[in-house]
Amino acid sequence: MWTRCLLVLTLLFSIVAIPLALQTGETSEKQTEQRQLKILTPHNETIRREFGEAFTRYYKEETGEQIYVNWLTPGGTSEIRRVLDSGFAAAHVLSKEGPGIDVFFGGGDYIFQKQAEMKPSRLVELEVFRTRAELFQEGNIPSSFTGETYYDVDRKWVGLCLSQFGICYNDDTLKRLNLSPPTEWRDLTAPSYHGQIALADPTKSGSVAKAFEMLLQQELQLASNPEEGWRRGMNVIKKIAANARYFTDSATKIPQDVAQGDSAAGFCVDFYGKTLSERLRAADGRSRLQWTAPEGGTSVSVDPVAILAGADEVELAQEFVNFCLSKEGQLLWINRRGSGIGPKHRPLRRFPIRRDLYSEENVKAFSDTEDLPYSRKQQFIYKPELTARGFGALRLAIRVMCIDPHDELKEAYSSRPSGHALDIFEDIEPLTYEYVMGELPVILEEKSALEVAQLTSQLSEEFRNRYLQVVQKGKGSE
Amino acid sequence: MNQRIAYILSVGILLIFSVFFIYPVASVVGFAFMDEAGFTLSFVGEVFENRLYQEGLINALALGVVSTLLSLVIAVPLALGNHRYAFPCKGLLTAGVLLPLVLPPFVGAVGIKHILGVEGALNAFLKKLSLVDETSPTDWLAEYQFFGVALVNALHLYPILYLNLVAALSQIDPTLEQAAENLGCPPWRRFLRVTLPLCLPGLFAGGSIVFIWSFTELGVPLVFDYTRVASVQIYDGLKDLSSNPLPYALVAVMMGVSALIFLSAKFLFGGTKPRSTARPISLTAPRRLGVFGRLAWSSVFVIVTVFAVLPHVSVVALSLTDDWYQAVLPKTLNFGNYSAALGHPLVVPSIKNSLLYAGASTLVDLILGLLIAWIVVRSRVRGRAVLDALVMLPLAVPGLVLAFGYLALSQEGRPFHFLTGSSMDPTLLLIAAYAVRRLPYVVRAAVAGLQQSNPALEEAARSLGATPCRVLQRISLPLIGTSVLSGAILAFAFAMLEVSDSLILAQQSEHFPITKAIYALLSVLGDGPYLAAALGVWAMAFLSVAIVGATFIAGKKGGLFRL
Repeated sequence: MWTRCLLVLTLLFSIVAIPLALQTGETSEKQTEQRQLKILTPHNETIRREFGEAFTRYYKEETGEQIYVNWLTPGGTSEIRRVLDSGFAAAHVLSKEGPGIDVFFGGGDYIFQKQAEMKPSRLVELEVFRTRAELFQEGNIPSSFTGETYYDVDRKWVGLCLSQFGICYNDDTLKRLNLSPPTEWRDLTAPSYHGQIALADPTKSGSVAKAFEMLLQQELQLASNPEEGWRRGMNVIKKIAANARYFTDSATKIPQDVAQGDSAAGFCVDFYGKTLSERLRAADGRSRLQWTAPEGGTSVSVDPVAILAGADEVELAQEFVNFCLSKEGQLLWINRRGSGIGPKHRPLRRFPIRRDLYSEENVKAFSDTEDLPYSRKQQFIYKPELTARGFGALRLAIRVMCIDPHDELKEAYSSRPSGHALDIFEDIEPLTYEYVMGELPVILEEKSALEVAQLTSQLSEEFRNRYLQVVQKGKGSE
Repeated sequence: MNQRIAYILSVGILLIFSVFFIYPVASVVGFAFMDEAGFTLSFVGEVFENRLYQEGLINALALGVVSTLLSLVIAVPLALGNHRYAFPCKGLLTAGVLLPLVLPPFVGAVGIKHILGVEGALNAFLKKLSLVDETSPTDWLAEYQFFGVALVNALHLYPILYLNLVAALSQIDPTLEQAAENLGCPPWRRFLRVTLPLCLPGLFAGGSIVFIWSFTELGVPLVFDYTRVASVQIYDGLKDLSSNPLPYALVAVMMGVSALIFLSAKFLFGGTKPRSTARPISLTAPRRLGVFGRLAWSSVFVIVTVFAVLPHVSVVALSLTDDWYQAVLPKTLNFGNYSAALGHPLVVPSIKNSLLYAGASTLVDLILGLLIAWIVVRSRVRGRAVLDALVMLPLAVPGLVLAFGYLALSQEGRPFHFLTGSSMDPTLLLIAAYAVRRLPYVVRAAVAGLQQSNPALEEAARSLGATPCRVLQRISLPLIGTSVLSGAILAFAFAMLEVSDSLILAQQSEHFPITKAIYALLSVLGDGPYLAAALGVWAMAFLSVAIVGATFIAGKKGGLFRL
């Protein structure tokens, strides 16, 4: 018995010893009584590691004090919203300003704006607007670009780096399907893409919903009247969704699935697509995964930073924001590994927000030197007055039209509807421009949760029946 | 058992269970029972009227039934083979069939996709044999969603049934089977009329867990992008930015359906009375077979293990390469993933944390599980069947719901804040969450064990003056040790691989368990899946040695789970 115990314990100990032996000396544990900065973030491990180490180094050099960056990572945007809601609700009961978390870092401007607009606001004013006022002058950090807001008018959040939704695709799969590389959103409506598109879920992420909004805006801006543009845009979304394999809330799943050939193309943020494409580059310089910004249909948005109300370490938090907007913090996003100022472990491949850092000298150290965001010939400007009012309603519209009845939608579109069946398929009633931008936002705001749930079910059912009708007509005509 | 003690224990357990399970779940799901006017059942009504949710529930039920049947088809022959026959490499092979228990999350899914994907290993293999058209390879994940999910569920979950069955079979008095054989009863009839009824408690224990698990399983349907199933509908709804109450109502419905099915099944199959015959003092030696029979049984174990560990093999292959595409096996080897992953600063603390969380929660489960089993089987406490059904509910509640409940209740000023303190250390919170979610494994195993052991032995000890503690220590525990060990192994293994609570509650890197470290590595830009696979392989190796080691230490006669 004891011999057996000893044998098993020796084996277990040997397995545990391997990671102990491979440790490099860095630690993720807090040492003694260091001051700590609590940062709530959905950013990936690569970004957390680079920014955590760089900021601790920077602060030690500046003040001589060794601090500890305590990353709080409950998941993606929807989990973070949950953490903030719980934390602020509990703080409210105790008459405190907030849950004691210092910084909110990354996640798209939508959730930041929502937190800023809360009554009372969950974000506090950033000192950087006062102490580094020159950064915000002469368009160095523009208040908006391509129609996207880059910092809050009330100075509660500021963008740090730029990113763009686009299309990633697998060259091998496109060849197999006899498709040419997509250059714009509507290319993804081709029926040959059936079951081959990997889509991000707009109901779970504000920035994904924004990408769908861009697609609609592109059609609205091209059309002679809003209703016609809206109808065309909604049908582009509907047909892409009909080709979709799934709707996911995982940012990394889409480029990975496309790279593995499980999907031919997908919606993807630039830095995920470009990083994976670079990684898969073969010796002949070819990569099977490509990323492209759809012509005239994508804006350049920001990932912001903010300080939460009731922060335990306000001064440290303000210093973190200063660091993020300093040259060192900004070039951390884009420089190649080992290029002096820049990442120590892996390149982050995201463009900094500060325009003055795009000098010829700096660009030489960039991990991406082409297609710089501020130098692009911009064909598309986001116009908030066209769709911003119905942003929340648009998510519901896509859900009831595409996500809930997804199986029936796929079947209807794969039946290649024509004539009357196509009319039924393309019918978007009652989700007209007027309804989604006018009546629906009011319903979502004023009606009870039960009424909204019933409306959602009813609309889903209507579209589901419509798609089943298309399938029936297709079968009838065979 | 003293009725007064039984009632006091029942109240205590109910209190603990209410505080750490019912209260946090109700605080989240309660959202679906409230409107402006107060309490309402309208949302639950709406779930039953919504055709998409109806389909989701029907598909979930069908998945539960088919997965359980497939698990039975795999587990019953294996358990019988292990129990009855001697065959080459038996010790190794019977331990090997437990390997599906150690599949790490996230990377396990990536592993399955690298096998079944359009450009995955299976299609590459079939292309080599010219069995698929190069221009239109089979999309296994998309074309065989339902069957694929059921099969992967079965291949992952059959060890739960197997462990419970092996434990149950080892408790059967062999003289009963021998008597049937001597009276001329043919093997099949003997199996159906003698063996099966005698091991019904084990079958029910394992079957109920496998059914509820597959009924509520989320990960596997997500791998196959099978979305019209209740668990995925709940997951999508919980993450929806619009705060729709219907998914919470659907959680309540899933809990209700699970409890109803459990109670019905318990009524039909699980109500075995405690045996009154003495437990066999000696066990029959496994039967020796001819060469063909021995090889056949070894082959059965090898074949099942090979299929069941394909995802594991895939994770190992992923950890050893930097690209695996259009090939049966990766074309390039890269050992650097191991040094990068295992040398990552997150890893060592995460190992320490996981061992603490899983170890402590298993200990809590063992104590609570034994007490609950004792009350359910040996006491006459009124409503003990309800207590039995209640403790199964954690299997039916999505991990996210419990995690959201704990998250909200552990904020400053809320009732669970004392568990985290001002440092926001989630250790006690995670131990409680893990223990609650893994309790059913130990309860089911212990209940099955007690049902099969003879209370007369305990009564004899008591009549000879032994204290209740001594009876438990010297008589009951040794008698049901096999069953309890199987439950503890399941509880520990699944706690080490716990996902939902860990993701939400372990927010700070110093408190990450291994699963969250795997999740963090998965998000490393570029080669995340390969690094995560390397840590996943480490976790598999550790858990395999822990599980096989536990059975190895416990096995006195060389046979697995024979005490």
